Amino acid sequence: MKIWCGKSEIGQGVRTALPMIVAEELSCDWRRVQVVQADLDPKYGDQLTGGSLSVRTSYDNLRKAGAAAREMLISAAAREWYVERSACRAENGSVIHLSTQKRFLYAQLVTLAAGISPPNDPPLKNPSDFKLIGKPSRRTDSFAKVTGAAKFGLDTRLPGMFIASVVRSPVYGGTPRHFNADEVNSAPHVRAVFEVKSAHLTHQFGETSGPGSRNYSCAGVAVVADSTWAAVQARKLLKVEWNEPPSASESTASLREKMLRLASEPGAVIRSDGDFDKAHASAVKKIDAVYEVPFLAHATMEPVNCTAHVRGDSCELWAPTQIPRAAADAVASALGIPRERVKVHVTFIGGGFGRRLIQDYAVEAALISRDAGAAVQVVWSREDDIRHDFYRPAACHVLQAGLDAQGHLVSWRHRGSSPSIETFYNGTGISPRAAAQVDSLDFPALFVPNFRLEFTVAESSMPLGYWRSVDASGNQFVISGFFDEAAHAAGRDPLEFLLAALGPARKIPVGNAETLDVGRRRSVIQLAAQKCGWNEPLPAGRGRGIAAAFGWGSYVAQVAEVTCDGNRGTLRVDRVVCAVDCGTAVNPLGVKAQMEGAINFGLAQALKSTITISGGQVAQSNFHDYEVLRMSDAPPVIEVHIVPSAEPPGGCGELGVPPAAPAVANAIFAATGKRIRRLPIRAADLHPG
Amino acid sequence: MAISFTLNGKPQSVDVSPDMPLLWVLRDTLNMTGTKFGCGMALCGACTVHINGEATRSCVTAISSVAGKKVTTIEGLSADGSHPVQQAWMEEDVPQCGYCQSGQIMSAVALLSKKPNPTDADIDDAMSGNICRCGTYQRIRKAIHRAASMQTGKAKSAA
Repeated sequence: MKIWCGKSEIGQGVRTALPMIVAEELSCDWRRVQVVQADLDPKYGDQLTGGSLSVRTSYDNLRKAGAAAREMLISAAAREWYVERSACRAENGSVIHLSTQKRFLYAQLVTLAAGISPPNDPPLKNPSDFKLIGKPSRRTDSFAKVTGAAKFGLDTRLPGMFIASVVRSPVYGGTPRHFNADEVNSAPHVRAVFEVKSAHLTHQFGETSGPGSRNYSCAGVAVVADSTWAAVQARKLLKVEWNEPPSASESTASLREKMLRLASEPGAVIRSDGDFDKAHASAVKKIDAVYEVPFLAHATMEPVNCTAHVRGDSCELWAPTQIPRAAADAVASALGIPRERVKVHVTFIGGGFGRRLIQDYAVEAALISRDAGAAVQVVWSREDDIRHDFYRPAACHVLQAGLDAQGHLVSWRHRGSSPSIETFYNGTGISPRAAAQVDSLDFPALFVPNFRLEFTVAESSMPLGYWRSVDASGNQFVISGFFDEAAHAAGRDPLEFLLAALGPARKIPVGNAETLDVGRRRSVIQLAAQKCGWNEPLPAGRGRGIAAAFGWGSYVAQVAEVTCDGNRGTLRVDRVVCAVDCGTAVNPLGVKAQMEGAINFGLAQALKSTITISGGQVAQSNFHDYEVLRMSDAPPVIEVHIVPSAEPPGGCGELGVPPAAPAVANAIFAATGKRIRRLPIRAADLHPG
Repeated sequence: MAISFTLNGKPQSVDVSPDMPLLWVLRDTLNMTGTKFGCGMALCGACTVHINGEATRSCVTAISSVAGKKVTTIEGLSADGSHPVQQAWMEEDVPQCGYCQSGQIMSAVALLSKKPNPTDADIDDAMSGNICRCGTYQRIRKAIHRAASMQTGKAKSAA
């Protein structure tokens, strides 16, 4: 039994969870299911893999697809036996005639069943009869991944294929003015050296690419050679003079100054409830703080790459992409060929985290293949990958909150400023509200009577992109950190303060027929607190912090426990306890893996990673200066507890990232009294002085 | 000039530039793509192979230095994924994207050959050169402990 997976496997487990849904309704033998990666084809529907959407948007359709196939197989068996369909049942890869216990294997029925029209509305199983959905299932791709057999994008090997290495403009938007093509051309095993033009990247993740949008691939110079090593060696000989764009003056310091200034002034009002100014003026206790987060790179373990073969007016791609459709669109547009003439093979993908939503690398590979007149694999070095990413925006946030005499939060104002992903892709003509990198429904909106959220775009020349959990990755650090500050200002336990602010379980309508389920929010917070033993005392130097996040149709809370010595500047995350409510957990083992991975990803943000710019260029280049989490940093224990639920599936890929950093920051405060307001956490930030 | 070495138990000879890293010899010359390129600077461990039994970053190992030595790659660990470390990896459902796992497994096998029952601190020491961006570290720890008990169990029953 083969099931084709229409989504891209970036590690999140779609090649397991999605076929499980089909196999459940199909009543086939899961152990005999072989999962095949689908190429780009309209018959698989929307193949976009992002936004933590795969399971929740595929669930109903895949159940229906599996059920329809099951019903067709039952019809085929009934015809063979000349019996009523109702006398037959499908079970574990067979159709059984109930009264005689005669049985056909599905394989025996396939040809006949294929001639039967699929039913429009096949009966779906009662979830209480599920044998697969909701049962922990190991991944279908582990064998390939522990034996080295899995073929990632970089493992594509084609007859006569060349390898290209590209020197891209150090400043985004620059173009090569002059380069020593002849010298490099004469290096051993070099086939060609030429300029690669920048191409605009239209319509990738639902963007509009309106006027002022800046999403284009980098211009550069390609060295095409017989092997990766030859290309890399020849590239070292390349000397390029660049036309630098005006943005070459931008630096982390200049952008920070701009963001701090903008976040200190009134911005576009994203949300305003009650009267902040009046309430804050009469608040008994007031707090304010400035929070900062840096640019971040995705740094997928498989460096960016793509293999392309342009022949005449057609192009074939072997692409580690989260949106094969966008790769085809962008390549067709850049080559000026019909969209139908672009064929996309989706490979295994060594990490996505949003990087492979942007199709710059596919366009680049296609242009190079065209100009080289051969199949070409473009291999990005790690330095290329870190320096030419589409970055999670840096941001500054200025917050104020006020408490009344009873210690209730009565006023909250949050002013944020950062470069905008939205204007980067959609153009500068969009509304300030649409450009904002904050969400009008982010907690504590709706739970503080006088609430104001403002945002101002800080113009920047940096290329921007979607980074696992997008703006929530930084915003949740700000919100949960400042909320913890409010709890301490009120002299209350942060958990109790959080639950009190949420109030009783209820459903609050928030427009667009959507409701905010306070009960589900409370339950993950309470479960995480209970499982970590929130009220059990910790020895000196240790602390516990809590943070929660809600989004993608799911709910999560995390408690971090840290050991921290401020004088020595040492910090260890001892344990993270996570509670998640993602509705129906199709594969609980996969949900747990996603939470564990997201927590470690969030801890990298908390403890390690930063991208800085100087002269318009990214200063970091490889894992020695763009640090990520390593084994020795990883908490010894991550516990994940799943709230049992019959609600529709929610998203899980991004959910676990946002609370990790604030949970740790809040735990550091509990341990040391030092408040962390910028990421990543530096040893000096822990010092008691 | 041809350089000869033993690759996964079989004699191998390649005629490439002597400064070419073993990684690219494996991947480009020999089309053995199980060993991964991650950083090119021995910072991430994705390219880890064994040279004479030692875990080695193949991205910074010139092929000339491999002459006459024994190289083992992920493909050489077992023909069928039956190596205890591979088994433990599957049982603990370790891989996510999987890209780093060849290197992780090669580092783990080398660790277990030196320390059949490693502590968590031993694992931190031996495995901190191998980055996993998906964040499978806790499962890697569990899988190494599981592989250790599988291997020592086997050793005991053989004794």
